[in-house]
Amino acid sequence: MHFNLSEERKMLKESCDRLLNDHYTQYKNHHEVSSSETGFNKKFWQECSEIGMLSALISPNFNGLGGTGEDIMIVFELIGKHLVVEPFLSSGILSITSLINSKDIETSVLDEISSASKIYAFGHSEVDTRYDETYIKTKANYKNDAVFLTGQKSFVLNGDFADKIICTARFSGNDFDQNGFGLYEIDKTHCDIRSYNTIDGYRAAELKFSEIPAKELCKNSDAYNALLETLYAGAFALSAESIGAMQVCFNMTLEYLKTREQFGKPIGSFQALQHRMVDVMIEIEQAKSAVMLAAGTYEADKDTKYKNISAAKNLVGRSGKLVAEECIQLHGGIAMTWEYNLHNYAKRLIMIDHLMGDSDHHLEKFKLYSNY
Amino acid sequence: MDFNFTQNENDFRQEIKDWLSENLSQRISNKVKKFQRLDKNDYEEFMKALSAKGWLAVNWPKEHGGTGWSNTQKHIFEEEIVKAGAPRIVPFGLNMLGPVLMEFGNEEQKKYYLPRILNCDDWWAQGYSEPGSGSDLASLKTKAVDNGDHYIVNGQKTWTTLGQFANKIFCLVKTDSNCKPQNGISFLLIDIDSHGIEVRPIITLDGEHEVNEVWLKDVKVPKENLLGEENKGWTYAKYLLTHERTGIAGVPNSKSAINHLKVIANKTYKNGIPLIQDPLFSSQIAELEIDLKAMEIFNLRAISSAESGKAPVMESSLLKIKGSIIRQKTSDLLRKAIGPQALPYISEQFDEGWNQETIGPEYAGPLAKQYFIYRKISIYGGSNEIQKNIVAKSEFRM
Ligand SMILES: Cc1cc2nc3c(=O)[nH]c(=O)nc-3n(C[C@H](O)[C@H](O)[C@H](O)COP(=O)(O)OP(=O)(O)OC[C@H]3O[C@@H](n4cnc5c(N)ncnc54)[C@H](O)[C@@H]3O)c2cc1C
Repeated sequence: MHFNLSEERKMLKESCDRLLNDHYTQYKNHHEVSSSETGFNKKFWQECSEIGMLSALISPNFNGLGGTGEDIMIVFELIGKHLVVEPFLSSGILSITSLINSKDIETSVLDEISSASKIYAFGHSEVDTRYDETYIKTKANYKNDAVFLTGQKSFVLNGDFADKIICTARFSGNDFDQNGFGLYEIDKTHCDIRSYNTIDGYRAAELKFSEIPAKELCKNSDAYNALLETLYAGAFALSAESIGAMQVCFNMTLEYLKTREQFGKPIGSFQALQHRMVDVMIEIEQAKSAVMLAAGTYEADKDTKYKNISAAKNLVGRSGKLVAEECIQLHGGIAMTWEYNLHNYAKRLIMIDHLMGDSDHHLEKFKLYSNY
Repeated sequence: MDFNFTQNENDFRQEIKDWLSENLSQRISNKVKKFQRLDKNDYEEFMKALSAKGWLAVNWPKEHGGTGWSNTQKHIFEEEIVKAGAPRIVPFGLNMLGPVLMEFGNEEQKKYYLPRILNCDDWWAQGYSEPGSGSDLASLKTKAVDNGDHYIVNGQKTWTTLGQFANKIFCLVKTDSNCKPQNGISFLLIDIDSHGIEVRPIITLDGEHEVNEVWLKDVKVPKENLLGEENKGWTYAKYLLTHERTGIAGVPNSKSAINHLKVIANKTYKNGIPLIQDPLFSSQIAELEIDLKAMEIFNLRAISSAESGKAPVMESSLLKIKGSIIRQKTSDLLRKAIGPQALPYISEQFDEGWNQETIGPEYAGPLAKQYFIYRKISIYGGSNEIQKNIVAKSEFRM
């Protein structure tokens, strides 16, 4: 057993870190990027692709250069570190995973995504389905050889600027059935789109559509498997992202404790606060470890893989909240201002718990996959 | 021990309810319930109505135009106005400056200022904190130099809540630097319209403007605006802490928030079952309710011991800490309950009259925002850490 990155991966990490850092330090904060028309910077997305950040998410079996748990972890930790708003999660992880797990996928489609020439979004959640995996009310209607979708998809990350949307829709069974739904590709231009920024400064959209043409990617048990793979890939990537954001919060807070003076000394000299920082540190190390375990078993059998991802997502949900809340508290008033960048990291940490299943959801999944 | 309200108290509650249903405008309570931005008029409309009824100065004695209510009555009143969705009664003049004026102000000051607070002629802001002086307030640097019949004040105050609406600010200023910091502070009443004062907005993490910086440059403050004696300001500022602070735990707010949480948990489904029936989630609500009920009794105990004359300093600190935790935990569960519906942020939703379709149910819009901004509750008014220091120091004597 060892926990070190290979030389190659170290280089990947360093070059990505440099690129993201150079780009994002041009802005006051990531809202400046996400409040643009597209919600992210298209040119920069291209640059990310050029240095291989996207192909790092795809396995060599599909023309990529990575795709292992470790690769995804490295990339997403950096995304958390720099609060990257480009569509790594939507087009990168969610769409790619759902495509790879569909039948008969042409690698040319994946090439288009990894070369940044096409952007895909993934639409599964509906407005009141919360984190239920197979609660799908959007309808798929098969007519002759064609299929048409009617319904609404909610909180679709980058859904307003994607070229294509991959979404779930049901053609039979009740709303919760594991069977009777499929994954379909639809065209954004057919949808009625309401786009908005999320509270943590990312772009999402509500998509409404009625009897629009769709392309079937897979259905029934294939679709169920592809959906689970996709949701778990997302949960895993977000867990790694959370680690990057936690680390920044910790560093900012430590720095502040050393420089902010009250009662004639740095507030970091108060033991009460030192202990709080140690508690935060313990939780970050715990969360990191859980994410590493999930990365290490990303290619294992599904039960092991899902169990460890659920453990990680549960843990980052809990520790992310602790880190966000403690780092704000230990800063005092300054952390409550828009100007001071900490809140953006704190918000991301909290909102990660609202994506791909919260800590309660993954606690239950952990129990399920551990055969409790 | 008796946990029941008397018939008189129940009648009193009904009287408050009836009055609110007639005098609190639907327009304002709607805004409050939707967490929409309130302007100066919204606050004043309600406060003026209370004032006309004689119910504005809840904590003041009758001789100064207060209600003279018992603590139980105050408690009932606070509960009902929160339930009704009233804007908060701006506390700076009424609950902070008022009692200090009554205790330490001279006759002219009392005669001039108290009625103006009561009639909402003045909007006061609290000018204590400075960029370099938060928890360590006594280290403040804003300086007032004696210049005959007036002081010349220079410095900067910060975090001034609702200072954008204020025409007056009470400030702690340094009048003597050659002594223990606490002994060189004075309490000045300052016109915000004075030459040399500039109020600049601070935008908080929720994107809103509620706090401000107040810059003072060569501001002339007449000597008659000194409250009490020069260099005794610290005593006056501390008087506030020992003065009754029945509302500090925010029991009514937490009660109404937990009710809201239960309503939402009933309307939200997890795997086809209402969230309120989910063992994991409902246990968290139940624990919160247990905590709150206990704190409510704790609060009443503190109030009643205050009535027998003992200043509840320690209790106030404990209640402030627990109150903030319960408030924050409730907002935490509220945003958690709605899952991904917490994601969208539509700023216009918080403007009066916004009538577009919401994303998800209408109640979802403000919940994440509320969660984040309520982090302030454990920071302002003496952070929870400082409250713990106060208790440990005053109680344990170790
Ligand atoms: C929304 C908001 C509204 C406010 N409104 C007003 C207002 O209207 N008027 C006004 O005058 N002020 C106001 N304040 C200021 C508020 O009172 C201060 O923020 C508060 O006193 C904390 O000071 P600080 O922010 O400078 O934090 P600091 O004092 O710098 O504290 C930073 C951290 O260190 C901790 N700490 C400091 N000293 C110790 C110690 N000895 N032991 C252990 N821990 C310690 C604190 O608890 C905190 O966690 C407001 C603040 C906020 C956030």
